[in-house]
Amino acid sequence: MTRHFRVLALLVGVGAPAVAGAQAVQNATLRRAQQAYDNLEYRQVVSLAQAALRERLTGAERARAYELLGFTYGALDSILKAVDAFKQVVLIDPERQLDPNRVSPKAYSAFDVALRQVLLVRQLRVDSTSFVGGRGAVPIRFTVTQPARVVTRAIGGGGSFVIDSGAWNGQVNLSWPARLASGDPIPAGNYTVVVEARLGQNTFSAAQPIRVSHGSVDTLQSLTSLPGYQYLPETEVPPQSWRPLGLAFLYTGGALVGTLGLESSSLGSSSKRELAVVGGAALVTGFVMTLRKPAPRPAAANILYNRLLRDQIARRNQDIAKENVTRRQQVQLTLVPLPKPGGAGPRCVARPPPSRCSSWLPQPPRPRGWR
Amino acid sequence: MTVGPQFVLASYREVAAGLRYQGTGLGGAVTARYRKLSAEAGVVRVTLDPTTGSSATSGFTATEVNAWLAYDLATYASVEAGFIRRTADPEFDAQSVGAVRIGARSFYEIGPGATVLFRANYLAAPKFSGGGHAGFSIDLGLGLDVRLAGRLHGTAGYTFQRINRKTNPGGTGEIDAPIQATVARVGLAVGF
Repeated sequence: MTRHFRVLALLVGVGAPAVAGAQAVQNATLRRAQQAYDNLEYRQVVSLAQAALRERLTGAERARAYELLGFTYGALDSILKAVDAFKQVVLIDPERQLDPNRVSPKAYSAFDVALRQVLLVRQLRVDSTSFVGGRGAVPIRFTVTQPARVVTRAIGGGGSFVIDSGAWNGQVNLSWPARLASGDPIPAGNYTVVVEARLGQNTFSAAQPIRVSHGSVDTLQSLTSLPGYQYLPETEVPPQSWRPLGLAFLYTGGALVGTLGLESSSLGSSSKRELAVVGGAALVTGFVMTLRKPAPRPAAANILYNRLLRDQIARRNQDIAKENVTRRQQVQLTLVPLPKPGGAGPRCVARPPPSRCSSWLPQPPRPRGWR
Repeated sequence: MTVGPQFVLASYREVAAGLRYQGTGLGGAVTARYRKLSAEAGVVRVTLDPTTGSSATSGFTATEVNAWLAYDLATYASVEAGFIRRTADPEFDAQSVGAVRIGARSFYEIGPGATVLFRANYLAAPKFSGGGHAGFSIDLGLGLDVRLAGRLHGTAGYTFQRINRKTNPGGTGEIDAPIQATVARVGLAVGF
């Protein structure tokens, strides 16, 4: 008979709780139940686990006893009983998860059914985030196992704030702007995000402590240039040419022609030595300048471009200055989830079953054969 | 702003072809610019002696003061106004002249630090020490400014002046007594 059970257990894939988990078990009866489960003596497991439940157990031991029952009933094809046992498990430890790759399909489906038959708020997560007050939100996620009226609050020294209130079922994603009704950010301090689900007379709540801190918003630096845009030289050197000598000729020729044309006929031809001296100097200068590198001259297009660039940078800097004025009045909100305090577990079950609160349960036993 | 001394060459003719002088002298000039406004002033003192073949028997010393105030109309052109005052010593060896200048000038930078200039001024309302009047008086100029090194500039200027003076000596009738002068100035200037 025992051998038959063993073969059957392997065939249906019912696993046994792992020995590792038994190290935390203090209760002797429960330890014996664990040992019986390891030996696949399921009838003994049932009687011993039930006997253990009648004794004084810690929350973790109680959850383990029910879990042993759940796995054992699953192995014995008593699915309804398995479901009932797993309901007790999740009521004690709502965060309990089974790995579908490591437990038998029967046990897993029984656990899944159990989850959907009790009202739980599971997997409450508040992510670390930092944002400018009024320009971001805190992501809050949790799962409600049954359709329920769910009220989410943040409770702390700065007051109590309703984050959301609505009818939810399944995975819930909330965004909390962390602002007061006036629009100001909530005061800095420690808060507890409490998610309370209500279905009829059943209530369940989960909590996550968080810390909200205030900081100053980084201001922007003024621009000295625009990325990808550079000032262009405002002068350009024209190509070398005979223009200087030509201009010297033109100006000297103008003076010569003017002199010749305006000379008085009655006074005779005037002395040309003065013009020769100055005109000669002009022509020599023109020739030298022709040989020299031409003088840089203003590049109108570049000047215009630079002016536009300067205007653009000035405009951007004005915007930055305005933005910085605003930023100096803003608050950088930083929100960090805190570890849950020991003994103050986030879960409390009102009814049914009788109120049991537990904090952190040790890792549940893993069924043998499903590794 | 620049200021500096100048060496001057000059020739002067008056009334008839036979009355001609030539000489040298010294002078100084100062220039200043503020945005589109520019100012220029110069003074020269030249000792003029009769040239070979001149009917004049003695020379004289001429002192000429010029001033201009100009406003740039374009990159290469400006309008200007000013005055000229030339006196002779001894006083009656040549005509002393005073007139208002009105005209324009063109200037161009032919190379780094080198500028040539051409000016044409009408000499309005000329006054002469010997009396008379002039319906047509003009002054042409050629200028050169070259930055030699740092603040040191080399300057050169040429002026041709023609004044169609008419007189009526003793009420015998109006006769022509034209004046024609050319001046060349070469010098150095220091920029500030």
